[in-house]
Amino acid sequence: MNRTPRQRDLCFVLGLLLFSTPVAAATSNATAPGLEERVVEYRLANGLVLLLMERHQAPIVAVNLTYRVGGVHEHNGITGVAHLYEHMAFKGSRTIGVTDARKEQPFLEKLDRLAEAMAVEKAKGPASDQTRLAALRKQFTDVEAQAAGFVVPAELATLYQRHGGVGLNATTGKVLTRYFLSFPANRLPLWAAVESDRMAHAVLREFYKEKQVVLEERRMRTDNSPSGRLHEAFTAAAFQAHPYGLPVIGWSSDLEGLSKAQTEAFFQTHYGPANAVLAIVGDITPKDVIALVEQTFGRLQARPPSPPVLTTEPPQAGERRVEVEYDAEPHLLIGFHKPGAGHPDDAVFDVIESLLSDGRTSRLHKRLVQEQQRAASVSAFSNYPGAQYPNLFVIGATPRAPHSTTEIEQSLHEELARLKNEPVAPREMEKILNQIDAGLVRSLRSNSGMASRLAYFQAISGNWRETVTLRDRIAKVSPEDIRRVAAQYFTKSNRIVATLVRPDKPGLNGKP
Amino acid sequence: MTRRSVFMAWLAGWLLLSAPSAFAQTTPLGDPRTMTFDPVTITVPEVERVVLENGLIVYLLPDRELPLVTVSAMIRTGAIYEPADKVGLAGLTGAVMRTGGTARFTGDQGDEELEFLAAHLSMGIGSENGAATLDILKKDLPRGLAIFADMLRAPAFEPAKVEEAKRQALEAIRRRPDNPSGIASREFRKLLFGIAHPLGRESTTDSLSRITRDDMVAFHQKFFAPNTLMLGVTGDFEKPAMLEALRQAFGDWQPQQPIQAAALPAIPPVTASAAQGESRSVHVLRQPLTQTHLRIGHLSVKEDDPDYVALALLDDILGGNSFTSRLFRDVRSRQGLAYAVGSRLAPGNAGPGIFMLHALTKGSSTHQALSSMLNHMERLRQEPVSSEELQLAKDAFLNSFVFSFADAGQIVGRLMALDYHGLPKDFLQRFRDRVVRLTKEDLLRVARQHLHPDRVVILAVGKDDEFEKPLSTFGPITVLPLKPGS
Repeated sequence: MNRTPRQRDLCFVLGLLLFSTPVAAATSNATAPGLEERVVEYRLANGLVLLLMERHQAPIVAVNLTYRVGGVHEHNGITGVAHLYEHMAFKGSRTIGVTDARKEQPFLEKLDRLAEAMAVEKAKGPASDQTRLAALRKQFTDVEAQAAGFVVPAELATLYQRHGGVGLNATTGKVLTRYFLSFPANRLPLWAAVESDRMAHAVLREFYKEKQVVLEERRMRTDNSPSGRLHEAFTAAAFQAHPYGLPVIGWSSDLEGLSKAQTEAFFQTHYGPANAVLAIVGDITPKDVIALVEQTFGRLQARPPSPPVLTTEPPQAGERRVEVEYDAEPHLLIGFHKPGAGHPDDAVFDVIESLLSDGRTSRLHKRLVQEQQRAASVSAFSNYPGAQYPNLFVIGATPRAPHSTTEIEQSLHEELARLKNEPVAPREMEKILNQIDAGLVRSLRSNSGMASRLAYFQAISGNWRETVTLRDRIAKVSPEDIRRVAAQYFTKSNRIVATLVRPDKPGLNGKP
Repeated sequence: MTRRSVFMAWLAGWLLLSAPSAFAQTTPLGDPRTMTFDPVTITVPEVERVVLENGLIVYLLPDRELPLVTVSAMIRTGAIYEPADKVGLAGLTGAVMRTGGTARFTGDQGDEELEFLAAHLSMGIGSENGAATLDILKKDLPRGLAIFADMLRAPAFEPAKVEEAKRQALEAIRRRPDNPSGIASREFRKLLFGIAHPLGRESTTDSLSRITRDDMVAFHQKFFAPNTLMLGVTGDFEKPAMLEALRQAFGDWQPQQPIQAAALPAIPPVTASAAQGESRSVHVLRQPLTQTHLRIGHLSVKEDDPDYVALALLDDILGGNSFTSRLFRDVRSRQGLAYAVGSRLAPGNAGPGIFMLHALTKGSSTHQALSSMLNHMERLRQEPVSSEELQLAKDAFLNSFVFSFADAGQIVGRLMALDYHGLPKDFLQRFRDRVVRLTKEDLLRVARQHLHPDRVVILAVGKDDEFEKPLSTFGPITVLPLKPGS
């Protein structure tokens, strides 16, 4: 590999940093000193973006590897695949997690063929041959046991834990999939070797067992959770076209039907190095880490850019209301379509979110919980269910008995009307900025928090500096902006309302 | 297969054969399995402990990285000391101390000022202690400290905030049945300690309805004094100036009636609970769920027990370490029965501790999961753990030890907790030294002494008509009623 382009990249980035410094100092609050100056950005030839920050308080380091992939890259039929892949990424590679990958491979292939045969037979519905299915299932179980003989259980996690790794985990969301852990800083070479290997050569072993694990996860998060059920139905109603409407955990039937080939294809499409951001914060020397990452992640093959999400949600014409029957106390969600990250109005919604629901002095808490005493809890989110793409401003509330979701809705509409009619007082705006500034200072306290933050903004907006510049855009929001945005977006026809209600006949999914 | 793909497969195999260490292809760093590193050295900063004239203990550890100061308080109190007919009093008292104002400002004014300053101030009373934390920008410290001290010393318990806290607590009780894992946790505690024991009982609509503002005032009066309080200060400050500020805020607070740990009512022994039985008991709580919440366990050691170290490592090996533990590898990865599965050792302080195994699995695999978990518990008593397992558990603990000293707040918080429970200040260092010396034989002896799969309490919350086999194979079944809020 040629060394020159990388050097130039580094110089270019450093140049940018120097250039941006005076701007940041002039506009950002001085309470987060030097945040921008402390970040080193480096771009590998294969497109991977590396963000580094030195913090020498303790001999430890946090890494956050974030891919721009998630539920929005799925469609009906393969829902849940992004999350399932994230689980599979812990199973190892051709070298980790296996005694002999070459001998293991035919068994894995045989399993796939059997699974495919069972799927074909099952798809015949009532006409399917039960005897054949039973025989296939028997064969499948046998081969699965044979394949398991090659597995070195949890070898990847074992390597990390043996070397003091903590907080090893990953998350899959609508737009991002994130892998993270912390460990003693002198173990960086081990991490780089293991992590670059699994991101290049993951082997989907124990695939069919892991689908069962994910189905259990779905039962826990969604099926047996009143709020999980409500959120799933609410989001599906809000997005009829955009894949935001699909559940990240996946529909049960899709999870059962997902093939290994589909999962591998998903990996090939979305896990190119240019689709990833790697943030490393802690007791590091950037120059050494760059060399290490070049040696390891630098060898990952560049891949074509992953295809963009083309579907856009058509404008909503008329209020949508959804009821979810579940034998639990009531719960309400109200959403309004709004633009996503990058749109000038996005920062206005951030301010509205703070006004409405940050802290005990926020408008909704004061009115619904303290004064009217109608709600047990109320909160607002300005980027639901993800920050990219046009999304929703959502208010969620739980009424306090004997009050109903109807009463809560009434109160919420009154509070939203206030935003349209009364200008926000300067002190309220000042409070929000104080909180953002203090939040930026606090974010520097934790390696993992900072790594997550840098990688997040880089992945969402292509610019980690958003962690600071967002504050400056929020500072520019005027009371008039808030009035205009509230009047434009908080309308009946742009609204989705979901309520959790008890079924007429308790006992169906009701409590005994 | 076409001829071409046969050829490709053969070629792929050949490539692998020619390069037995495939790692050489992906990284020039060598095989991560054989990498070695220097041990991680930790320099633990010296923390100063000062006792003010009125008995207030202060721990100080400056850390000048950021312009923030954190003051945390630990108070000798707890829900275990509340009257049996007023369960919930301690929690409500802590909540209203935070929200109910003082003689100098109303609750709303306090919130307004703190949130404007972007300060975080929390206060609460848990089972075995009270805790409060102020986290604030250095420039606002004088104001924040005044508010913080005022709330601890002279809370006003505004009647409206008392009512608000009670309303919220009642609604929380009403919503308990909506969260199955909450049901399982509370019911399991009740089974282990007994419903009347201070560590097992739970608040009810009745117990809350009996609690008055006067009760809260009296509870605060009884437990909050300078000599029942410890403060830990970390962040951007100079020690002399900080001590002066603390003397200003707390110095004239007179110790009323010294409350020593010995003067507090003793926690009664556990007598009336399923955990006292000589055999296993199975408890089923019927809920219309598609997944069973399983809890298996019994009472266990206190934190100062000499066997705690070995038991902690047994717990790591059995189910405490995620991904690598036996339960994770077998029940989750190998059998695909659960997403959440593991074990937990919670050593006791005021009373006994808990050793438990837990899992969530679909109704039709409840028996299988339970059976596997019990077998794993039994196996720890039957045969020594493997050398590799013990080494991994030790290495994982020792190499991640540095994370227990990662920031000043953590270091000071631990010193306060050790002080509070009467444990030596180098408890963790001694713990580490004993981990280094542990042998497989130690673990086997401790497993035999402290793990009792033959007399565990088993709780299953779920739809028992979907279980693939009746749980009576594990012991006599009791069907539990769910009586929310009563």
